[in-house]
Amino acid sequence: MKTFAELNFPGRLIAVEGLDGSGKSTQIYLLKRWLEAEGIKVYFSSWNSSELVKSATSKGKKRELLTPTTFSLIHATDFADRYERHLLPLLRAGYIVLCDRYVFTAFARDVTRGCPPDWVRGIYNFAAQPDLTFFFKADLEVSLNRILEGRPKLKFFEAGMDLRLSSDPYESFRIFQGRILEQYMAMSKEFNFIGMDANQNVEKQQAILRKIVGEKIELSKFKRRSPLPLPPAFPLDPAKEAEEDMAA
Amino acid sequence: MKTDTATATKCRKFFGHGIPRVKLEELAGKLIVMEGADGSGRSTQIARLVEWLETSGHATVQVGLKRSSLVSSELEKAQEGNILSRTTLSLFYATDFADQLENIILPALKAGFIVLADRYIYTLMARDMVRGMDEAWLKNIYGIALEPDAVFYLSLEPEELVQRNLSKSAALDYWESGMDLGLSRDMFDSFVKFQSSMQAAFRRLQKTYDFTIVDANRSVDSVTKQLRKEIRALLDAE
Repeated sequence: MKTFAELNFPGRLIAVEGLDGSGKSTQIYLLKRWLEAEGIKVYFSSWNSSELVKSATSKGKKRELLTPTTFSLIHATDFADRYERHLLPLLRAGYIVLCDRYVFTAFARDVTRGCPPDWVRGIYNFAAQPDLTFFFKADLEVSLNRILEGRPKLKFFEAGMDLRLSSDPYESFRIFQGRILEQYMAMSKEFNFIGMDANQNVEKQQAILRKIVGEKIELSKFKRRSPLPLPPAFPLDPAKEAEEDMAA
Repeated sequence: MKTDTATATKCRKFFGHGIPRVKLEELAGKLIVMEGADGSGRSTQIARLVEWLETSGHATVQVGLKRSSLVSSELEKAQEGNILSRTTLSLFYATDFADQLENIILPALKAGFIVLADRYIYTLMARDMVRGMDEAWLKNIYGIALEPDAVFYLSLEPEELVQRNLSKSAALDYWESGMDLGLSRDMFDSFVKFQSSMQAAFRRLQKTYDFTIVDANRSVDSVTKQLRKEIRALLDAE
């Protein structure tokens, strides 16, 4: 798997991976805010967000229609749509693309659900490797507590209930997430994951994240050529403005 | 019993790893696939076969492309706007296929039904090959599919297909003409070019996958007669 830099794309792709509740979404959001403030061309894409495919996925999830095979394929469809219509053109245009989850989520989840690893990897072999992949690793208990505190009711597929690991959703979620974590750990080296200690506080993690991104990517190359247009600082037509003031 | 055609009794197997936890020996029914372009007479022949099979006491189920409860409406909508890139389109169809495979085909076979598939993975693979997708990538995805008991490819020259499609609806279908490929701005030319490429792709697939080519440039009755004969042989082989 080659990175976008190795494939001579002008843009760069940064992905974050980790269990639900590892805090990765917060971190990539803050990274985006920073890059935007620096005047860099940045685009953010999250897992399972293709407008075209989303309605089918949510219907399948709601009605519990999905099998491990269709679960895998429908997420691949979603990814392909975002990849071909958004990510690739943006990377060609020299953007820094931030992905909240990338193909590794599928590698970990679908294999945990019983799909053969070679099959899953084969499906996604059209995707290049991110230039940087941050893996947010919190203690399993920490991640679980974050999720369970925020959203007391677990969804069927989220809890891995389709795997019949346990009839108790919370217990099922624990076992499921534990197995996904094992899958992530097993591929960590192969795909050059940069490990992030997600037990630390938000600010500390963000500082590390920004430092690494700044070191590995020459950010000045990705600045917008012209700054974003600002709203006019003074009235365009002073005479008209004065008139309105009078009327008021 | 013939052993050199697609209708000879075969050992049940998936093309690749298949679907986890399916017991192949339990799939007692038969899976019969009808392939061919629009206008080759697929649906007419399937309707006739269903009539014949059911009258003879066989339970049947029909499946076809874009008929899954999971994604068919979304796929339809996306195609209307023609905004799908080729990998997405391909995976969308694969999802549609997998949904029907797991929720209709496999349970029906387990219940001893004869499943008639109006197109199967061959059309999907041929289309994608014509669109330039990697054959190995496709084979990996469709490793989930079950090998049919019989596959009939209704073969017809593109020129004849044009005539049949036009006499049926006075128009050529956008996708069946491969208009998304930009082969020609002229729909007639595009149709002929696309269908010729499809035939070439089918010929290529035939080297790997076993299917019976049926000359569809004959009367409907004579095609039905051949199909019935082949299917009867398959059912009698039990």
